[in-house]
Amino acid sequence: MSVKERDPLTGHQTTGHEWNGITELNTRVPRAVWFFIAVTHIWALVYWVLMPAWPLVTTYTKGLLGYDDRTRVERQLMAANAQRADWTQALATLPAEDIRQDPALMARVAQTAPALFGDNCAACHGTNAAGGPGFPSLVDDAWLWGGDTATIMETLRVGINAPHPDSRSSQMLAFGETGILTRPQIRTVVNYVQSLSGRETQADAQQLAEGATIFAENCASCHGENAMGNQDIGAPNLTDDFWIYGGDDAAMFTTIDLGRQGWMPAWEGRLTTAERMALTIYIQDLGAEQGK
Amino acid sequence: MFRTLLGPFARFFEFHAKTHYRAERHSMALAGGILLAASIGGFIEIAPLFTIDDTVEAAPDMRLYTPLEQAGRDIYIREGCYACHSQMIRTLQDDVDRYGPYSLAAESKYDHPMLWGSKRTGPDLARVGEKYSDDWQVRHLADPRALVPESVMPQYAFLLDTPLETESLPGRLAALRAVGVPYSDAQIANAASDAFGQAMPDSDRAGGVLDRYGEETNLRIFDGRRDRLTEMDALVAYLQILGGLTDLAARTQPARGEN
Amino acid sequence: MIKRLTIAERQTAMLLSVLIALAGFAMAVIGRGDPMGVHGWIVLILAGALFFALASALYEPEPTEDRAVSYYDDPTKVGILLTLVWAVAGMGMGVWVAAQLAWPDLRFDAAWSSFGRIRPVHTSGVIFGFGGNALIATSFHIMQRTSRARMAGHISPWFVLLGFNLFCIIAATGYLMGVTQSKEYAEPEWYADIWLVIVWIVYFVLYIRTLARRNEPHIYVANWYYLAFILVVAVLHIVNNLAVPASFGAAKSYSAFSGVQDAMTQWWYGHNAVAFFLTAGFLGMLYYFLPKRAERPIYSYRLSILSFWGITFFYIWAGSHHLHYTAVPEWVQTLGMTFSVMLLVPSWASAGNALMTLNGAWHKVRDDATLRFMMVAAVFYGLSTFEGSFMAIRPVNSLSHYTDWTVGHVHAGAMGWVALITFGSIYALVPVLWRKQTMYSWKLVEWHFWLALGGTVVYVFAMWNSGITQGLMWRTYTESGTLAYSFTDTLVKMHPYYIARAIGGAMFFVGAVIGAFNVVMTIRSVGHQAQQLDYPTGSEANEPAVPAAE
Ligand code: HEC
Ligand code: HEC
Ligand code: HEC
Ligand code: HEM
Ligand code: HEM
Ligand SMILES: [Ca+2]
Ligand SMILES: [Ca+2]
Ligand SMILES: [Cu+2]
Repeated sequence: MSVKERDPLTGHQTTGHEWNGITELNTRVPRAVWFFIAVTHIWALVYWVLMPAWPLVTTYTKGLLGYDDRTRVERQLMAANAQRADWTQALATLPAEDIRQDPALMARVAQTAPALFGDNCAACHGTNAAGGPGFPSLVDDAWLWGGDTATIMETLRVGINAPHPDSRSSQMLAFGETGILTRPQIRTVVNYVQSLSGRETQADAQQLAEGATIFAENCASCHGENAMGNQDIGAPNLTDDFWIYGGDDAAMFTTIDLGRQGWMPAWEGRLTTAERMALTIYIQDLGAEQGK
Repeated sequence: MFRTLLGPFARFFEFHAKTHYRAERHSMALAGGILLAASIGGFIEIAPLFTIDDTVEAAPDMRLYTPLEQAGRDIYIREGCYACHSQMIRTLQDDVDRYGPYSLAAESKYDHPMLWGSKRTGPDLARVGEKYSDDWQVRHLADPRALVPESVMPQYAFLLDTPLETESLPGRLAALRAVGVPYSDAQIANAASDAFGQAMPDSDRAGGVLDRYGEETNLRIFDGRRDRLTEMDALVAYLQILGGLTDLAARTQPARGEN
Repeated sequence: MIKRLTIAERQTAMLLSVLIALAGFAMAVIGRGDPMGVHGWIVLILAGALFFALASALYEPEPTEDRAVSYYDDPTKVGILLTLVWAVAGMGMGVWVAAQLAWPDLRFDAAWSSFGRIRPVHTSGVIFGFGGNALIATSFHIMQRTSRARMAGHISPWFVLLGFNLFCIIAATGYLMGVTQSKEYAEPEWYADIWLVIVWIVYFVLYIRTLARRNEPHIYVANWYYLAFILVVAVLHIVNNLAVPASFGAAKSYSAFSGVQDAMTQWWYGHNAVAFFLTAGFLGMLYYFLPKRAERPIYSYRLSILSFWGITFFYIWAGSHHLHYTAVPEWVQTLGMTFSVMLLVPSWASAGNALMTLNGAWHKVRDDATLRFMMVAAVFYGLSTFEGSFMAIRPVNSLSHYTDWTVGHVHAGAMGWVALITFGSIYALVPVLWRKQTMYSWKLVEWHFWLALGGTVVYVFAMWNSGITQGLMWRTYTESGTLAYSFTDTLVKMHPYYIARAIGGAMFFVGAVIGAFNVVMTIRSVGHQAQQLDYPTGSEANEPAVPAAE
């Protein structure tokens, strides 16, 4: 069997072996293969000489270019910073009114803010900043802490009930859990609070009056005599029918029964001042656009 | 020129082909040759990672995962979160701009195994710790599309109702010590109690956690349930510490500009 | 099948199954309350069933013929059927995984059905279940035919085949219960890993002992590749799975390595699982079935040598291309990139060798869908290795890494190369094994071919688009020098591609189901035909001198 034969089709010789009918030709390795081997090896050699490549026992060859990923990306980031400086500096230092008056700066804001909002804020406040159960809408003009630029900037910097040392802190007490109010009392005050924003309630006038008393005794200290809220301590206005946790019976009962303590992250450290300013202007304008 | 360039390759090959022709009659010679050829690369690439000093940066402030966080990490592995989420911010400008300082080797030096991932169906999580609230994490895990309508992430609501198994934690910490994580005897012995205490700040077991793992440790009711310790507590505790074991990266990398 | 074993062999097999059943029982007892206990029961039930099957046939008459004059094909036959079972299961799972990314609520309200748990059922199901069984079955066939000798053993091939399938079952059921080490393609936990080591050692010994019986002094190329597959996978498996169990009564273990060292070890393993499982083994398959089907000599023995040693040597270095721009030191990344590019030449040399072998047989490629499967597989092999070397270049990888581009590349290799060469080989092999005149329906083979090719193309194009789109969106900056898109923006863009991928995958899956049906019908209803010359023969070979190049 192991006689070298010539393949009639190609004219090449076989190696003379046969495995269950399979034979193999002894064709030379095509020139192109050698060529590409040479090309790839030479390229690799050059690369090894120029860049970090071969390990030694406690160190490695650093490459003639003296260049590595970490220095490269750090330089890129620094260069990008420098390139953005013309407008980031302005955003970080100028008063908001001046920024709003400068169309060039406002164009920067328009380009920067949407993706920033999408990557950092939309998870809680929603893609269109309209909020959701537990997360306030940022476009309804009902502010816990205030909607002016300085206040929002501060809220973003330190967060609310966040681990930041200067964090704003606020808490809605757990009146039911702590035994301050009974369940019927909570139900009564719920009806009262609902009536303040013109919601339908089944309560009659006497119950509402009772609710008003409970409110004055327990709630007014934070939410104010007229329940218009108090932005110094982040207590919401209860007369505007905008709700973080919901204005229906069940949600409101839970709010008063178990209390609430929203947690808004602090963005200092994660976002720069300029980025926070861009976001502030962005959400203010978004609110204005959506007709408040 | 071309010919002289290729000469050595061709001659080497001619020699190789001849020896090969003889060797291919001996199965064990073939096997030995294969083993040899296939060992060189792996050895040269892996062994020096243990001997070259600056492979892993020194991070003196590095802390260990608490038993609760380690239990959360084990759940993260169990559920296959790594199939969609990376934990490795590359040295690329857009990675750093989106996720924060690039990841350092030191940050995963106690990660057995590492969870760097190979696919980002969801965002990188290397620095997601404290980016969102516990409440958000819990609700997002329970029903991602309720918070992010575009999400394709699965729901993990059952974690909220599954009590965390803590009995095996001492054994797990001991196994981790066997592979090089410096847990102390006290940490191992109290692992189950510490897991409970970390998620029950009002209980009498909470104090020991701070003693053993440092004042910075997050001591909170992670899942919003005071009545029991759940798997959700563990997973959220783990997510909230991601990127927070050491602040080496933030300290050593130039900030993206303070303005 | 049991009747073809001697009574002594049946007794040995019974003893083995008792031992395994006992091991299962021990696991079930020690691992109470842990998924490991469930695995114990699974082992116990399967080994017990085997025991009873053997026991019920224990005193059937012994085989009377001289077994040395024929090949031992029973394990191969079972292996081929298992390959098809896993193909349908693993690819069906793939379609479900794909569908969940398009419609995430398409699942049950149960932990086991979440993406993170079923994804590894798909990957292990197709790579190990489908691919592994195909490799074991074809290697049994090929080692006997190219040695012209009967397999060296009657129990060990069964031990290898069934033991390996037990490993696959433990793996797949484990993932559903949340048992995983998280190391991609090495997810099974420590006890499964140890079991696989035992199975693998037996496999190697069986292979070497069969080769030792050969009647042709030279070992054929296909066997070099199978040997490399068996040996190197063993080394990779043992090192990457080193771990310390948290307790011997529970599944959980912790990898011996951490951080960078773990990452490098994992991707040294992961990449070479591609190289020595999904490439070397299947090249062995290609080297046997393609020339056989085309009835042409291999184009060049010298090219075979060059590509075999090139692949064996260079592949090992390439793993770090999975870790570009990560915290792994840059010098390793450089080596990974450069070796990946140098690797392209031997890779293409083997693809070229296969395609050049078809010279003089192109009319057969046109008419015979079976050979066309093999031809297209060789083309996809060339394509995916080219793509791989390209993606290993650091700047390219900075775009492709973490995106669906990788998934597209994977499936160009896995569907286009691995699955197509397997199906081609199965269609060539089934009539030979079962001594049939022909396949049940050549029309269905034709249908399978076009569904598979169409499905692969749709899948791969969808993933290229999706991956490149996402990669570009991640790095797009506005004129202001800030990121232009949020992560969620990219999710929205992926959706149509995810639907397209699910459709392509479904086409491929339907093809596989048709293939399985066709094989079953062939076995059941096609007429018998004796094959010529399909039995061991002595060697009258005399050694030629060292062949010089012409
Ligand atoms: C983890 C969820 C979460 C994320 C992420 C988040 N917020 Fe908030 N945010 C909240 C919650 C909860 C509140 C309300 C706190 C409270 O109830 O006291 C809030 C409040 C606010 C307020 C104060 C509203 C007021 O009425 O005074 C502003 C402004 C705000 N968020 C903007 C942002 C911006 C901009 C981002 C992104 C950089 C962001 N938030 C990210 C949860 C979040
Ligand atoms: C200690 C101060 C404090 C007191 C006393 C208090 N509240 Fe509040 N309340 C808050 C704060 C702060 C919030 C916002 C919590 C948040 O957003 O997380 C709030 C929120 C609410 C909300 C939810 C608003 C929404 O948008 O969903 C309701 C309803 C409410 N309070 C009603 C009451 C009633 C009724 C009482 C008395 C029984 C009361 N509060 C007493 C501070 C207080
Ligand atoms: C099918 C893929 C998939 C799986 C599996 C998955 N996720 Fe996600 N994940 C996503 C996607 C997509 C997003 C982005 C959209 C969103 O926020 O839901 C995301 C977002 C997140 C986020 C918010 C990240 C950020 O910075 O906005 C966290 C935290 C998270 N996932 C944790 C987990 C955990 C923990 C698990 C496992 C228990 C898990 N994920 C499993 C796909 C997945
Ligand atoms: C019916 C056909 C198939 C479909 C629908 C399918 C679908 C999928 C899906 C949806 C994923 C997950 C991708 C992600 O996480 O984004 C995946 C991953 C994978 N599949 Fe398939 N697949 C199919 C066939 C195959 C075959 C035949 C093989 C191998 C022989 C294979 C091997 C793999 C591998 C290795 C991965 C992991 C990829 C990675 O981690 O990058 N698939 N498949
Ligand atoms: C020359 C040959 C090849 C090279 C250089 C190569 C290179 C690469 C590269 C660079 C990646 C992406 C790594 C990342 O960015 O994460 C990759 C992924 C992958 N390739 Fe290849 N490839 C080759 C051939 C193949 C073949 C033939 C297959 C066959 C099935 C294959 C299967 C895979 C798989 C499964 C992955 C995904 C790994 C993961 O889970 O991340 N490759 N390959
Ligand atoms: Ca992967
Ligand atoms: Ca394993
Ligand atoms: Cu690779």
